[in-house]
Amino acid sequence: MTDKSLCDEMYFNEFYTSHIQSASNFAYFKSGDKSTSLDLAQEAFIKIWENCAKIELSKAKSYLFTVVNNLFLNLVKHDKVVFEYAKSSPYLDVDNQSPDYLLEEEEFKDKLKNAIADLTEGEREVFLMNRIDGKKYREIAEILEISQKAVEKRMSSALKKLRAKIDGI
Amino acid sequence: MKEKNDILKWLNRETSDEELLRLKETNNFKTLEKIAHYSAQIETPKVDIKEALAALKIKTQNSSKKGKFVQFNFKQLYKYAAAIVVLVATSYFLLFNNTSSFKTKFAQTKTFNLPDNSEVILNANSEISYAEKDWKTNRNLNLKGEAYFKVQKGKKFTVNTEIGQVTVLGTQFNVKKRANYFEVKTFEGLVSVTYKNKEVKLPRGTIFKVVNGVIDATNTFDVNEKSWLQKESNFKSIALRFVLAEIENQFEYTIETKDVDLDILYSGGFTHTDINIALQSITIPLQLSYKIDGKKITIYNYGK
Repeated sequence: MTDKSLCDEMYFNEFYTSHIQSASNFAYFKSGDKSTSLDLAQEAFIKIWENCAKIELSKAKSYLFTVVNNLFLNLVKHDKVVFEYAKSSPYLDVDNQSPDYLLEEEEFKDKLKNAIADLTEGEREVFLMNRIDGKKYREIAEILEISQKAVEKRMSSALKKLRAKIDGI
Repeated sequence: MKEKNDILKWLNRETSDEELLRLKETNNFKTLEKIAHYSAQIETPKVDIKEALAALKIKTQNSSKKGKFVQFNFKQLYKYAAAIVVLVATSYFLLFNNTSSFKTKFAQTKTFNLPDNSEVILNANSEISYAEKDWKTNRNLNLKGEAYFKVQKGKKFTVNTEIGQVTVLGTQFNVKKRANYFEVKTFEGLVSVTYKNKEVKLPRGTIFKVVNGVIDATNTFDVNEKSWLQKESNFKSIALRFVLAEIENQFEYTIETKDVDLDILYSGGFTHTDINIALQSITIPLQLSYKIDGKKITIYNYGK
């Protein structure tokens, strides 16, 4: 384990390949800006490469997300986040094709999208890391260097807000 | 509380079948299910890992490993670049482009002092330009036409013309450069003339002349006869074409000739004050006649 150094290009590439997508996603969850998310992630990897000697491989992952987070915070301009759904994504009830149902679902998706955009950054990153990247609370906690309890707290407060917004309560 | 934990567990994919059944019975599970379903459909920018890694390698190679990586904001860069261009351009014009120039029209002479008090008398249809800022270190000027110089003692003083270069330390001399005609007269001191990379020294009272690219053997002249400064021009064995050109310069007339040999040599002079007297002093010795029509002079050979 100790001889696996990130200064070794082979290990660095392996680390890069397995985390670039989720680092980019993470930046996207925070900024909601498609054009900068990959840049932020790339920059974070460059920082890791430059400081490879100082970073243990086991800590590299949380270091990576911390750097992305810091880079995001350094951005002067924080636009309102905008999310979009993947095209051709299936509705919950695939068999129901009635126009009423489709319209209802589209309306729901719209509300949900806006509600997610209105979450706090902390809630949003946790919620979307779980929903989109399929990460478990344990892993999210590790990455963000917070407790699993804190992750769960953010999850439930996110859900609460989303439901309130959607049900119009 | 129990429900909340169940939901969290369910989203974390840790729910047993039994717990799921219980969850499905809660009244707002439908909304929850939709939230869970559709939120997972939010699209993130897909990273082409291979391409991104290649791009990263290029970036890390370009910035040395210890060097700080700064992302270029090109929009910002253009802004600075534009500002710098404006700044450089204005300062260039303010600081360096201060060439002074003096110009005379036809039938006009001008007397002025250079920054070191050297005196210049510019003959008609002539132009002088020099860099005012560098004058102290570099007494260098460009001349088109004819001028008389009274140079103050000091560093090398150079007059550049298209044909030759005249260098002195401190003297009085005259430089004349007209089309195909180049002439330097030394009135005082020693003048060095560089013509086609050859240097000729002219002591007081000598004249250096190049006509149509041919050097005239060194001649002497009368230093008291400062011709055009005394409002007259003097010539000694000069082709008529150059004499007539000088008439044009001094009197703003155009001259046409009919049956006249322009290469015939003329010795003599003409005054700058009266066109008729001037023309007579040229035409009579050469047995020619002239006619003035407005601003046009026609010279013809009355023998024919």
